[in-house]
Amino acid sequence: MTQLRRDPIVGRWVIVEDERPWRPKDFGVCPHAYEEITHCPFCAGNERMTPPEIAAVRPTRSAPNTPGWKVRVVPNRFPALQIEGELDRQGVGLYDRTNGIGAHEVIIETPEHAKDLPDLTYDDVRMVLETYAGRSADLQRDKRFKYMMLFKNYGTEAGATLDHNHAQLIALPMIPKNVLEELDGAAAYYEYRERCIFCDILRQEEEEKERVLDENETFTAFCPYVSRFPFEMWIMPRQHKEFFCYSAPQELDALARILKDTLTRMRRTLNDPAYNFIIHTTPNDGREHPEYHWHLEIMPRISRIAGLEWGTGLYVVPTPPEVAARYLKETK
Amino acid sequence: MPELRRDPIIGRWVIIAVERARRPKGMRAGSSLAGEKECPFCEGKEAMTPPEIFAIRREGTAANTPGWQVRVVPSKTPFLKIEGQITHRGKGLYDVINGIGAHEIIVDTPQHIENIAELDEVQIAKGIACWVDRFKDLDRDERFKYVQVYKNYGSPGGTLRHARSQLIATPITPKRIKEELRGAKRYFDYHERCIFCDIIRQETSQEVRVVADADGFVALTPFASRFPFETWILPREHSCDFSRMGVESRLRLARMIKKILSKMRDGLDDPPYHFVLHTAPFRHAKAKAGYWKTIEDDYHWHLEIFPRLTHSAGFEWGTGFYICPIAPEEAAKFLREVEGP
Repeated sequence: MTQLRRDPIVGRWVIVEDERPWRPKDFGVCPHAYEEITHCPFCAGNERMTPPEIAAVRPTRSAPNTPGWKVRVVPNRFPALQIEGELDRQGVGLYDRTNGIGAHEVIIETPEHAKDLPDLTYDDVRMVLETYAGRSADLQRDKRFKYMMLFKNYGTEAGATLDHNHAQLIALPMIPKNVLEELDGAAAYYEYRERCIFCDILRQEEEEKERVLDENETFTAFCPYVSRFPFEMWIMPRQHKEFFCYSAPQELDALARILKDTLTRMRRTLNDPAYNFIIHTTPNDGREHPEYHWHLEIMPRISRIAGLEWGTGLYVVPTPPEVAARYLKETK
Repeated sequence: MPELRRDPIIGRWVIIAVERARRPKGMRAGSSLAGEKECPFCEGKEAMTPPEIFAIRREGTAANTPGWQVRVVPSKTPFLKIEGQITHRGKGLYDVINGIGAHEIIVDTPQHIENIAELDEVQIAKGIACWVDRFKDLDRDERFKYVQVYKNYGSPGGTLRHARSQLIATPITPKRIKEELRGAKRYFDYHERCIFCDIIRQETSQEVRVVADADGFVALTPFASRFPFETWILPREHSCDFSRMGVESRLRLARMIKKILSKMRDGLDDPPYHFVLHTAPFRHAKAKAGYWKTIEDDYHWHLEIFPRLTHSAGFEWGTGFYICPIAPEEAAKFLREVEGP
């Protein structure tokens, strides 16, 4: 069982591996290549190499844990958090800790080994997004879980450990710090103006246009004015929406189009960079959050994050978002 | 002129290089790695850097000539510009400040050595003396609110293998520092004690996360470490401002830094590392009155060292929720057992 620990000074929660700690020699110093594996557990035909599937898109109604799927969800073999048990909150002197309770699922986005989202059809991407939404909505019924974090690591520099394309879903028993900060900031703005700050940002971006990359009837993709990373991109629903997981089918269809196109632009402009994306959505804490607006953040990992950024949270962005947007727009 | 932009949602300031924007091509991670060309930080190559700001040098030697032990020069490619007045402006929802600040390089040794763990403590203490001197000097500049001292060792994008630290003076207080200041103040408001002193007390009595404890400095792996083998060095005696350290303390701090960095080098196979100094912001007249009423008592300066052993992934970036694959107790035990220098 892992532990969740809270930093007593700034309140950040950390997941600490308590049971199977890595030994110093387990840390390859910044490995640049994936471990050689002969059989990829995520490829079609190797279904038995993963724990039994939780869900799958099987257009031909093939049996679970056999080939014939388009998208497949399995529990993470090395979960950061465990699904069974109680939180058991405890104080240790100054410190707070709880058991590492949560869910950790892997969403295999395609049965083919060497494909990423830009290589799939719009229809396939839509099925992937439907799976994201379906799994989040399902976990959301468990009231122990306060936050559904959907994210993707592509490439070793972005933290991926297997090169078969996949996303991950972690259900957390508390709201993570970055989201709490966004919620607090958005709530303060809402309290004063009775408007959603994300809607206002979108309005300003759509008016100024210079950072907007793409839009369709439902979504806008843009480089945020205060990017932390060069070529950072956000995709946001144009209408105020609190939860990603309750998106309607036609919304997911529109998202599939803009997401595939945006990732394609990024791949061509930056020569297939490593990247992360994350869906920030409203927490499942039983409260109303009219101030919050879900969005997807894409962060290409092309610049170095060094001592300054780690130590102070002060980011240095070598390419202004206006310029990044221009490069990205010129690429189709 | 670079810009400082404030995130309208969470209030984080970011430095944006508006002028010399880098194009996508020059940007693959690590592509800036230069070959071993002539090193501008070596003795004899003083003309390759901008003129020095400060140096500790042999008596009788002139500035920008050999004969120095440590040397401070402006960065050739500064993130922020030193000349100009600070102007705040709004742009719709957004806040912008022009990118005024100082960006300096502190060269730790005239020899071409990369890791300060190889230097002796007297030499390391001279580097610390530069931090103190530069900090005090920049404190007189009312445009600045904070000075960040940091060091990157051995990271894949590092261009020159010569030991140095960097310093950035900013017209804003960076976000992580602000969070710490607020957290410490909140604790003090309630308990009337410094949270860092309480942490030191708890850690030194439990001993499970203490790596070393000597000469008035404690090195520990924090209870909620973000990174494997993350280590903090704190002065046992309460002080919010590192620049008040006397000559003796600087030498003792140097000894502790050498000990911890040597343990990391020997025990973890010479990993890249970052270290950052967290100290109280400037408290001159222009700083917000009232906000700092208790800072002398509630804040406690310290050094944070992060060996770079894992790639942080999307989950960490997106949530601020870190997964630490080794418990800090295990990390401390391991580092304790590595033979010291």
